[in-house]
Amino acid sequence: MTAVPPPGARPATIPAPGAALTAGQRRARRMRRQRALKSFEAAVMIVIIVLVLFPILWMVATAFKSPAVVYQYTMWFKPTLENFQVIFNERWNIGRNIVNSTVIATTVVVIATPLAVAASYAFSRLAFPFKRMMFQWILLTQFIPAVAIVLPFYVMFRRLDLLDTYAALIVVNLSVVLPYAIWTIKGFIDAIPIEAEEAAIIDGAGRLRVIWDIVVPMAWPGIMTAAIFCFILSWNEFLFGYLLTRQHAVPLPVGLISFVLERGTVWELVAATGIIITIPMFFFALMIQRHFTKGMNLGAVR
Amino acid sequence: MSQRRLAIILLAPAILLVAFTTVYPLISSFWTSFHYYDLTRGIRMGPWIGVENYTEAFRYDPNFWTVMRVTASFVLLDVSLTILVALGMAILLLRQGFGKTFLRTVLILPFAISPALIGISWRFMLNPDYGGFARTIGAILPFMHNVDYFANPYLAMGALVSSDVWHWSPYFTFMLMGGLASIPPETQEAARIDGASSWRVFRDVTLPQLRPILMVAVILKSVFALKVFDAIVTMTAGGPGRETTTLAYFTYQIGFRDYQFGYAAALAYVLTAIMFILSLSYLRVAFRRSS
Repeated sequence: MTAVPPPGARPATIPAPGAALTAGQRRARRMRRQRALKSFEAAVMIVIIVLVLFPILWMVATAFKSPAVVYQYTMWFKPTLENFQVIFNERWNIGRNIVNSTVIATTVVVIATPLAVAASYAFSRLAFPFKRMMFQWILLTQFIPAVAIVLPFYVMFRRLDLLDTYAALIVVNLSVVLPYAIWTIKGFIDAIPIEAEEAAIIDGAGRLRVIWDIVVPMAWPGIMTAAIFCFILSWNEFLFGYLLTRQHAVPLPVGLISFVLERGTVWELVAATGIIITIPMFFFALMIQRHFTKGMNLGAVR
Repeated sequence: MSQRRLAIILLAPAILLVAFTTVYPLISSFWTSFHYYDLTRGIRMGPWIGVENYTEAFRYDPNFWTVMRVTASFVLLDVSLTILVALGMAILLLRQGFGKTFLRTVLILPFAISPALIGISWRFMLNPDYGGFARTIGAILPFMHNVDYFANPYLAMGALVSSDVWHWSPYFTFMLMGGLASIPPETQEAARIDGASSWRVFRDVTLPQLRPILMVAVILKSVFALKVFDAIVTMTAGGPGRETTTLAYFTYQIGFRDYQFGYAAALAYVLTAIMFILSLSYLRVAFRRSS
């Protein structure tokens, strides 16, 4: 795996039994192969970077192209901010979708995070009946397909006249986000040494005090990771928004559909809106990069 | 306050909310799947018809088996490609070298992008006249010049799979990197000292130790693949014909285009059953690993 010969390697002066080549020749061949491998690796890496970045850069470029240039296969053009003005005018009114998505995702995170902290503390530290079963059940809910969830909710929201409202989307998004948050935050609380809590309890502090003063500060990075991840999930959520809204509560990703017209799709506006959807998520994702897989072995399943 | 009382207080809000948002709809769909329920005839559920919605799927609806075939090929292609790409990238990224920190940061990007946006972007990129992908592919492979990707079943499926692989392989790369990093290097070194080639070391030493996490990755990715919906809506709309209509998308069509909620609930339950089997195997593998 590495270019450095392993420490216990046979000294080069003693020829290996039955070897046709001298040790020096073998080493030279090894070096050549290592070098070939290194350049092969570099080539593969460049290909990966191009494959990852090309569509992103193409969409970014499209967002700054004037409509006439969009239908040309070129990266050379005079950039314009016109598309960003157009998506905010009364016709498209993307500002409204931004507000919708922000309100929905923020409310979901504000409700889910404290509930998840409380529940995951109980799962991590307390003994109670059916604990393992309940925890596995919470995990299993992540495997339920969203189409199965949305059918009954559609009927219910229609009866209650809640279709196309924030309330509807907040409730269904919680079904995805809350189990995930419990799972993630429990992982982080499990990793906190229990001694500090025990000392505080011996000193007479109540459990709730302990949670607030010791557990929450120590698990803070984990709580933030879960919160940010939940925000990304709700922000990018499409299925529920697509099926449960019409015009008032339409979230941003579903707003993309409005650029698909009879006479064709207005790509430059799709691209401009895409940038607005994505930029905040990039920053959030970079913030939690370190914890990318630690907490989320299970996240985002639905 | 006893531990049990405290546990109830701490758990109750979250558990009730999870129950309301997942268990209730699950039971409700199950009940609906045994009824005739045509939403165009009103919001009231129709009469009990037993398993007729299920026999409709398995025996009478010719589309159902087409959809199952499409779903199976999509999941198979998607899972194997994603895991292979992720494994390759994980191995590459764990070897130190120039540009790898940069690549690690770049890999976060696809994951942060909404699949709906990826889907619609892919449709743009694959337009034969002005799409970035289509024109580049056409320039490299002349016979692919001016091909309508979404009129050809194989190419449409390929487009859909590639968008999902693009979105998910970074996540699985990081997951497998974690798995690879946790393998004690001594075992690999020992094999190398014994004269094993790099490929042998990988196949006979690294891979067996990676198996549990690889299993977790495969099961998880299968679940993700079965849930793919957004990109189908914004890219292929299930076409051409039904060649990219997976079970999740078909259920949506029956429920929200034809408003046959009873039949849609039955289809949703077929999907749920498949997921349930996958999730049980997930629990077995994941919990065996941690205990």
